[in-house]
Amino acid sequence: MLLLREPLDNGHFMLAAYLIVAVVLVGYSVMLMLRVRAEVLRERGTGNREE
Amino acid sequence: MRTGRVLTVAGLLAVAAAYVRAIMFTGIEAVQGPAQKIMYVHVPSAWCAFLAFVLVGVCSGLYLWLGDRRLDTFSEASVEVGVVLIGLVLITGPIWGKPIWGTWWQWEPRLTSTLFLFFLFVGYLTLRRAMFDPAERARYSAVVGILGAMLVPFIHLSVYMFRTIHPRPVVLNPEGPTMPGSFVATLLFSVGAFTLLYLGLVTMRYGLGRLRALREARDAPAA
Repeated sequence: MLLLREPLDNGHFMLAAYLIVAVVLVGYSVMLMLRVRAEVLRERGTGNREE
Repeated sequence: MRTGRVLTVAGLLAVAAAYVRAIMFTGIEAVQGPAQKIMYVHVPSAWCAFLAFVLVGVCSGLYLWLGDRRLDTFSEASVEVGVVLIGLVLITGPIWGKPIWGTWWQWEPRLTSTLFLFFLFVGYLTLRRAMFDPAERARYSAVVGILGAMLVPFIHLSVYMFRTIHPRPVVLNPEGPTMPGSFVATLLFSVGAFTLLYLGLVTMRYGLGRLRALREARDAPAA
């Protein structure tokens, strides 16, 4: 593979892919943290130790 | 679970660093242009998804042998994270394919078998939600997990076994990497970042599964 001096005009495909990956990974990570927190709070609510 | 949270945040920061390295400090490939940089998220997602499903196969087999519920909980965690990652592979692949192949999708062996793998493990998660007896659920899930994991080597080898438009591996091939060193370094950095994030997510999801299993065991006599 060679390096290109004048980029081809398909950078928007790259940006779309990077944006979707970032949104999904951050979104899933946050959602998982919230699910864990909800489960811990549920355990506390029933009077059990959390971890 | 605190370990999982720390690893996840570290993984997200590492992926952000991989983005910066790929976009700003890695050259643009001559033939494909900027679209080639999709490789730095597509390949690591695929690597981590396949790692997740291979571990599911191993842990499912060990569960059937040893009967340790922690292996079943880990398999469930790994499947969920793997499904997210294989979903990303199936999204970024067509986005890369459109400007390079001229089409979003082709019903050819590599793409089709990857789609089947996604459906199979979505089925795994659906199966778990449909069964209420923990021992029976773990046993059936383990069988599906082993069968799903058996697809992974087939998918990897499909580019050698069939005529396909999907390229062969550019790093893990017998002749060595077929890319410039800077491209390989960025790809390996990104693979490392995604692997760290996978470890964080699966650790956190495992913790959630253990909490649920303990609650399930506690509530079982009352049911």
